[in-house]
Amino acid sequence: MEYFLTIIVMIAIFIILAASYNLVIGYGGLATVAHPIFYALGAYTSALLAIHQGWHPIICVLAGVLVAGVASILLALSALRVSGDYLLISSLGFQLGLLQVIRNFEFTGGAGGLSGIPSTIIGAARTPMFLVICGGLAILTVMFIAWIVRGPYGRAITAMRDEELAFSTLGRNAMSMKVAIFALGCGIAGMAGGLYAYYFQYVSPDQFDILQTVAILTMVVVGGMGTTIGPVIGAVILIAVPQAITFLNLPPNVMAPLQGIIFTTLVLVVMFLRPTGLVGGRSLTSSH
Amino acid sequence: MSTILRTEGLYKAFGGIVVADNINVTINAGEILGLIGPNGAGKTSLFDLISGVIKPDAGRIFLGAEQIDAQALYRRARTGIARTWQNMLLFRSMSVMENLLIAPRHYPGESIFGLVLASGRVRAAEHAARERALSILARMDLSAAAEVMVTDLPFGHQKLIGLARTLMNDGALLLLDEPMAGVEGTVYETMQRVVREEAASGRAVCVVEHNISFIKDLCTTAVFMAQGKIMESGSVDKLLASKVLTELYFGV
Repeated sequence: MEYFLTIIVMIAIFIILAASYNLVIGYGGLATVAHPIFYALGAYTSALLAIHQGWHPIICVLAGVLVAGVASILLALSALRVSGDYLLISSLGFQLGLLQVIRNFEFTGGAGGLSGIPSTIIGAARTPMFLVICGGLAILTVMFIAWIVRGPYGRAITAMRDEELAFSTLGRNAMSMKVAIFALGCGIAGMAGGLYAYYFQYVSPDQFDILQTVAILTMVVVGGMGTTIGPVIGAVILIAVPQAITFLNLPPNVMAPLQGIIFTTLVLVVMFLRPTGLVGGRSLTSSH
Repeated sequence: MSTILRTEGLYKAFGGIVVADNINVTINAGEILGLIGPNGAGKTSLFDLISGVIKPDAGRIFLGAEQIDAQALYRRARTGIARTWQNMLLFRSMSVMENLLIAPRHYPGESIFGLVLASGRVRAAEHAARERALSILARMDLSAAAEVMVTDLPFGHQKLIGLARTLMNDGALLLLDEPMAGVEGTVYETMQRVVREEAASGRAVCVVEHNISFIKDLCTTAVFMAQGKIMESGSVDKLLASKVLTELYFGV
């Protein structure tokens, strides 16, 4: 039972990650691959504050959101000043470089990671409590993003993606909108990091490497980029399916490659049959 | 007549190509100034300089009494420069109404903070923008197209929507880049009427146009450009009578 609940907590955390990544890359059209590093910044900030300062978890998680948000603004301001294309390269450097820094500092626990994050909720109710908190925040995140992208703000985002030059010439500040979307998305990833740190009480650099970008991006793309519910479906499928296979009781030397094959097949099939994702409507790039 | 736009000694070069060489232009309230010249004369570049798409290497630009050449692109629109594009640059994945709603000078809904903290103000602005959009569409006999996807409209109507979107900006200066290219019939007449009405309401209008008859119908004054320079300016009749200019323009 504990195992099931843990999987659901993981699904909730990845819904938050996929939804926020979708805000940045799907709605905002900002090509970044650095989402895991903001997830890491949130996780490490919360963990370090919890361990050394013993502050209230809400404060620690909010501090993680703040650190991730501020770091993302620094990246966005430097990369987006030149051109949107530079964000891809800068974010890659940011992701790889900052993770190396985390791997090599002593206070972050180095490559071995950081353990001893205090348990805030103790007893049998711990996992169900986390499930409620993470699930609740996942729902809030999805609803908040849905609210943002509807109405005047969403219209502005769509217009910016359609024709940035016309958008700016009409008096809209594209740069500040991009930075705001980026900071919001990355700040939310920081929140996911804080939840992760408190639930597992252990963080290590390997959990935040560039492969996580691939995983989160796959969730967004398979579910449906630029849709509200797509990232939710993507996160559920891509966390649940690999777990479900473990119940087949296959030997480990078959299991590992099988998971990879199923994963890849799933992506290929979805991309072939529904290029805009499982719930995606019209294509984001065509004129509709 | 009050001066709306004044440029002083505008200069811009891309490498060895000079697109604006000592450009001094003045446009008054209510005036419709024609900007004519062969392809590559620097007409659109002058629009780019005025609206802020490119920055001048030298020279100054004033909108009313305010010097605007250091202002960012989006700020100049808020100061009061409204501009259309040769190829329209409409927001393709949006309806006509959405294209218009995005375009007022002030749009509090573009800030997340505004959205969260001042939702009442955002709603009021939305309401006012919708009213304005409907009245502009009505003037163009396009009320029925309000909820149509902009890409589903015929080309001429898309041209009108390009103008309509720009008119959502109630600023003092209107820059129209080839509004008549590919346009005929009733759309032509509507375009002409609306541009006249805008000038009559006190806006300064500048039109880049190859359609000489449109310029003759609409403008009293014109500026002839070639190779980034102003060759001559004055009344349209005087310009069209000038032999040097017709040679430059038509190459005869």
